[in-house]
Amino acid sequence: MTDMKALTDQIRSTAREWLEKGEVKYIIGYEKDPNSPIARPVFIHEPKDVDRLIIDLTCVNNLTRFLVDEMKNKPKRGEEPDLRPIGIVVKPCDSKTIVELVKEKIVPRDRVKIIGVVSPSTIDPKKLNMALKNIPQNKRKDVKLKENGNDFILEYDGESSSIPQDDLLADKCKVCVVHTPVISDITIGEGEKDWKKDNFEDIKDIEDMSPDERWEFWKRQLDRCVRCYACREACPLCYCEECVFDREKPYRWNERTVGLKENAFYHLVRAMHLAGRCVDCGECERVCPMDIPIRKINRYLIKRARERFNVFPGINVEEDPMFGSYDVDDPGEDIW
Amino acid sequence: MADWEPKIIGFLCNWCSYTGADLAGTSRLQYPSNIRIIKVMCSGRVNPQFVLKAFQEGADGVLVSGCHPGDCHYIEGNYYARRKLTLLKDLLEFMGVDPERFQVSWVSASEGHKFAEVVTKFTEQIKTLGPQTKLDGGDGE
Repeated sequence: MTDMKALTDQIRSTAREWLEKGEVKYIIGYEKDPNSPIARPVFIHEPKDVDRLIIDLTCVNNLTRFLVDEMKNKPKRGEEPDLRPIGIVVKPCDSKTIVELVKEKIVPRDRVKIIGVVSPSTIDPKKLNMALKNIPQNKRKDVKLKENGNDFILEYDGESSSIPQDDLLADKCKVCVVHTPVISDITIGEGEKDWKKDNFEDIKDIEDMSPDERWEFWKRQLDRCVRCYACREACPLCYCEECVFDREKPYRWNERTVGLKENAFYHLVRAMHLAGRCVDCGECERVCPMDIPIRKINRYLIKRARERFNVFPGINVEEDPMFGSYDVDDPGEDIW
Repeated sequence: MADWEPKIIGFLCNWCSYTGADLAGTSRLQYPSNIRIIKVMCSGRVNPQFVLKAFQEGADGVLVSGCHPGDCHYIEGNYYARRKLTLLKDLLEFMGVDPERFQVSWVSASEGHKFAEVVTKFTEQIKTLGPQTKLDGGDGE
């Protein structure tokens, strides 16, 4: 159990200090959403606003996506670009994204000032909404969420109910192996420094299926996809200036139609584009309106990349990207 | 289905495998005509997207062939290819698409015989698997 109040206070004081000294252009963090029980992203430009910043169990977003967008912003003509670093509040999982972004030279290390928070875990907004289904949508914002041992306490309208942590925690947090930020300028809170071993138990059920069962499973999942591209938009590592799925010239790679063959192509190509880079921040699955288990595909590739090439994305800034490097002794036992 | 013949797309590198295929031809070696060859400058040029697109368009099998490791005309292109393509094969397996439909091979410019063997063996393999009906949306086109 972590004292969220103390963490929030520390974030605020750090943010105030950085903004007052003018060390950062602005700070990206979380604030209480007046319309929802889930926290929302906020951009703090003035020291007087820092008290809006919070950290709690409902800070689900990976804010590094905004960092990527900021780096893409071109200064207006005749305007001196403001090259001060951007302050950002990151959870341990999000800090791995920053490592990848620095490694791929999308975000220069000196353009970002990181407040790393040792936060225990976050909840899954979809699961919370299910748990609150008896409360009208416009009243859910008043629900208070507290941690109590292995349970969460939901307080609403003077009544409180208890729900096991497992029923509310985000899936990615259940298999999380890194509990302290990998990269940060200031680390707030105390946590286990050691990494646990990821045994990829959550994808075992799919691996145990027969090939035809696996295809039936994925067919059911991919058939649902409406190709809203929310997974691409939320992904901090999908930063291409022009995505291959938006390209019309010289060749349209994928038809716009929503159908199994287009959807399968989209998801397979996206998985390959993220292979060796994806740090399993879980944003794709969180934003998916059709509940497609996208993370499972990415996690399988993380697992295989680890087994085959000993690649661990999101840890070391100095390492070469997986597909941008090779080892003469890489396995290739299936090759004729 | 009796007269069904598999459609196989082959991405061959310009320097080794394409020349190897040429040698197989000039040596008058017999191999199945199911393979449609696309010449690429290097096996490292083969984007996993190309392979998936071939499957989407209804290919029954895809063969990627390049120089032996260490022999690449561009020194290291086939090492990059090996990383990408082995991982792609894993991904196909995880999605439930037969990984046997996708094959990588190393064929040098002097290995006309090996090229004919690889194509014969691969075509036989695809024939036993039957038509690919998964990634093309199952519309049988």
